Amino acid sequence: DVLHVAADLPALERRNWLIYLLYVRRDYDECKAVIKEQLRESHGLCEYAVYVQALIFRLEGKIQESLELFQTCSILNPRSADNLKQVARSLFLLGKHKAAIEVYNEAAKLDEKDWEISHNLGVCYMYLKHFNKARDQLNHALELNRHDLTYMMLGKIHLLEGQTDKAIEVYKKAVEFSPENTDLLTTLGILYLQRGDHQKAFEHLGNALTYDPGNYKATLAAGSMMQAHGDFDVALSKYKVVASSVPESSPLWNNIGMCFFGKKKYVAAVSCLKRANYLAPLDWKILYNLGLVHLTMQQYASAFHFLNAAISYQPKMGELYMLLAVALTNLEDIENAKRSYEQAVLLDKCNPLVNLNYAVLLYNQGDKKGALCQYQEMEKKVNEVKESSALDFDPEKMVEVAQKMGAALQVGESLVWTKPSKESKSKQRAAPSGKSSSAQQPLGSNQALGQAMSSAAAYGKTTQLPAGAGASAPLAKPPSLPLEPELGSESSPEETSTPTGA
Amino acid sequence: PRRPDGAMGPELEPLFQAWSCFRRRKFERCSELCAQLLRSPPGEQAAWSLKTRALTEMVYVDEIDMDQEGIAEMMLDENAIAQVARPGTSLKLPGTSQGGGPSPAVRPVTQSGRPITGFVRPSTQSGRPSTMEQAIKTPRTALTARPVTSASGRYGRLGTASMLTNPDGPFMNLSRLNLAKYAQKPKLAKALFEYIFHHENDVKNALDLAALATEHAQFKDWWWKVQIGKCYYRLGLYREAEKQFKSALKQQDMVDTILYLAKVYSRLDQPVTAVNTFKQGLDRFPGEVTLICGIARIYEEMNNISLAAEYYKDVLKQDNTHVEAIACIGSNHFYSDQPEIALRFYRRLLQMGVHNCQLFNNLGLCCFYAQQYDMTLSSFERALFLAENEEETADVWYNLGHVAVGIGDLNLAYQCFRLTLVNNNDYAEAYNNLAVLAMQKGHIEQARALLQTASSLAPHMYEPHFNTAILSEKVGDLQRSYTAAQKSEEAFPGHVDTQQLIQQLKEHFAML
Repeated sequence: DVLHVAADLPALERRNWLIYLLYVRRDYDECKAVIKEQLRESHGLCEYAVYVQALIFRLEGKIQESLELFQTCSILNPRSADNLKQVARSLFLLGKHKAAIEVYNEAAKLDEKDWEISHNLGVCYMYLKHFNKARDQLNHALELNRHDLTYMMLGKIHLLEGQTDKAIEVYKKAVEFSPENTDLLTTLGILYLQRGDHQKAFEHLGNALTYDPGNYKATLAAGSMMQAHGDFDVALSKYKVVASSVPESSPLWNNIGMCFFGKKKYVAAVSCLKRANYLAPLDWKILYNLGLVHLTMQQYASAFHFLNAAISYQPKMGELYMLLAVALTNLEDIENAKRSYEQAVLLDKCNPLVNLNYAVLLYNQGDKKGALCQYQEMEKKVNEVKESSALDFDPEKMVEVAQKMGAALQVGESLVWTKPSKESKSKQRAAPSGKSSSAQQPLGSNQALGQAMSSAAAYGKTTQLPAGAGASAPLAKPPSLPLEPELGSESSPEETSTPTGA
Repeated sequence: PRRPDGAMGPELEPLFQAWSCFRRRKFERCSELCAQLLRSPPGEQAAWSLKTRALTEMVYVDEIDMDQEGIAEMMLDENAIAQVARPGTSLKLPGTSQGGGPSPAVRPVTQSGRPITGFVRPSTQSGRPSTMEQAIKTPRTALTARPVTSASGRYGRLGTASMLTNPDGPFMNLSRLNLAKYAQKPKLAKALFEYIFHHENDVKNALDLAALATEHAQFKDWWWKVQIGKCYYRLGLYREAEKQFKSALKQQDMVDTILYLAKVYSRLDQPVTAVNTFKQGLDRFPGEVTLICGIARIYEEMNNISLAAEYYKDVLKQDNTHVEAIACIGSNHFYSDQPEIALRFYRRLLQMGVHNCQLFNNLGLCCFYAQQYDMTLSSFERALFLAENEEETADVWYNLGHVAVGIGDLNLAYQCFRLTLVNNNDYAEAYNNLAVLAMQKGHIEQARALLQTASSLAPHMYEPHFNTAILSEKVGDLQRSYTAAQKSEEAFPGHVDTQQLIQQLKEHFAML
């Protein structure tokens, strides 16, 4: 008899295997039907059915509903760490990090040895900007169980705190642990690139591209590195691969533009850069490059305009002021050019060109004393640069002008210039604007040598910018044609632009 | 007592004077003179007919360009045969662009997938609402060139000329006319028909008269057939109208008739047939501008921008002052990275004597993007001066805001976008751009509110949705981010950043 009674009572978890099978096969419609049936039979007491239903809701992006169901689960089974973890995860996905931390701590009491809890706690603390706690939690998670994601987050925290070296260490470990993760490889490559360690950067980015040839970030970073070494054709061929898949990316067009600039195809460069600028009007690198190209093309008014815009978006950069001053010199506004150079000299620490250009300007203005002063500043910087051995400017031209300058100022003997035998890098010169004054031969050109700013991959894209203005549909009232008479009160309809924001 | 009239001697025959006025398109004066003539010996048919024509001409609008669908026609008419037509064979499927035109990331859109056009006509339809509810909820000018009505109400308004207060009441009382009698006299009948159709806007009576007249002409007069077709078209009987136009074309090739026929086909949502009609017409009238332009319009409506541009260029080869073609090609060049060429087209419009707010606004934009800085701001100033209403002013301020962003002056840009909103409170783009500026300053909450306003005002724009998604993702509210990203993808399916974001969020959701 007892057996009979047992047979009549339907088992609560009777069809869990089926639910699980359907869920794993991603047959969600069928799965929902079975869940509904099961819940009807068990009057809502089947924990697993509710649990899977919540998971499906989460996959559909309905986090609020899934949170409620997970809470039901943890009421049905309050001793389960899993249910608490899911509730906390739902809270985390809703952006309620404090509440999530509390629930995770509850879950941690039930289960001490779970890496997920530590990892997620770390991420929550990161959102709340408690970096120390976050680091501890993530390190704890790594001790329990190593995962790529944990490394990623840890590296991110170091970057947020501005410690690139520590971040590089973390990513190095991560790449050792999982050498085929393209995200990790790319991030590490970009970090090396920022530090100037091209050899290692190239290695890692190359690995990333081997595993995933169409990887947009890695391509952009690798391309920008090739550009820095002057292999413009190779970089262009790399960019061609991703240009079709990411047609509206401003960093990509910026880099393509600078490739053309390197190949002396200035018109193509301008059109690519302007497209990039249209897609991202607030990006100072693109504006800087536009200014540079226009200086090279001797279109000083446009160059001034773009450089000025770049300065308002990036006011703490010496080279920008230097280029602006070069443009101003050519626009015959010497007063402002001097002020701009002053600003540049103040802001710049390691680029001798700034001082050289300033010296040339002063010399051409007849202020020999000031020129000498700037010339000595330049020598100091050159010596520093020589020590760091990263020759970052075009020695040939510099030496030439500097020697002339030295001769003119009678200080030239003090420094032994050696011309490096290496091919000079891709540097552009703004054309000379030598205006002969009667008394003395003016020195040659202002050396406006900017470096092509190429943006390595767009990390952490910020909000997109308003795409270009909508030109209005110009609506011309048709001139009174016999076929199109106008009506007095409601003459032909007018619609102006539907301009775009973005 | 006769008043002396300008150059003419005072002793002129009044009827001759009235005729002369009519020929010189002085309709007011003409109808006055006719009224005097009618008063003295009543029943002077010449004067009566002349006055009829003068009154008609005062309010005449060409029927070909009068194509407006009200909400009712858009929603409740089921004239199209194919419900789910193949892409590229229907006007009702926006977003089936095969022309390789600029994407929404470059060219603004009015409805999802319909890029803004270069020239707005009364018959411009940019997309259609899918439900009655949606049609009522959207802004009234979102779909047509003028505020949408429930059924083509404009015809009703056109016919209100008869309501104008006349000292001696309306000119004629239609209900008392014996149409059968007039139909016997073709000379009177044609003028009377035009009066009834265009001035009184009484389609039913006009149709009665036309039917009697065409019977009297033993169905040999193509003009009456076309008029009957027009009446049918107004009444929404498109197939009957098509019959009449076709039979008129058999009798006599006329450009007008071809245009009417193509209009019927567009209304029946058969763009390919319409294009074929135009091409057959071009065989008979080689180089006829209105026909080439008609083809271009249809391609533009099917989002095949590159083909449309080809045909507009053909139009310009025939008629190099065609405003619509110049404007369309100009805006096309502007949005395909060639502002210098666009500038030349718009300058051409300026040389032709077009003088309005939109043109100067476009000139200003083209000048700025083509780096002609000396002309930019003066053009915008002129545009502000010429703006006829607040919406236009708002547009100009909005574009000035873009110029301000371009020169790096964010405070000025902020002011410009604010002024845009002052002039036009429903300007979604300005809300979005203000939100971007707020983000730059780090005012997250303000940006969020502005973006919400923008996306509710213009659900077809992908930018506010995408920006909302990014913003929410930053602060960690992944659910809101996901819903916004989905809307963004709906509005602009090809947007790469949106796809990447959705991918990322889905990974988050799938992770345990």
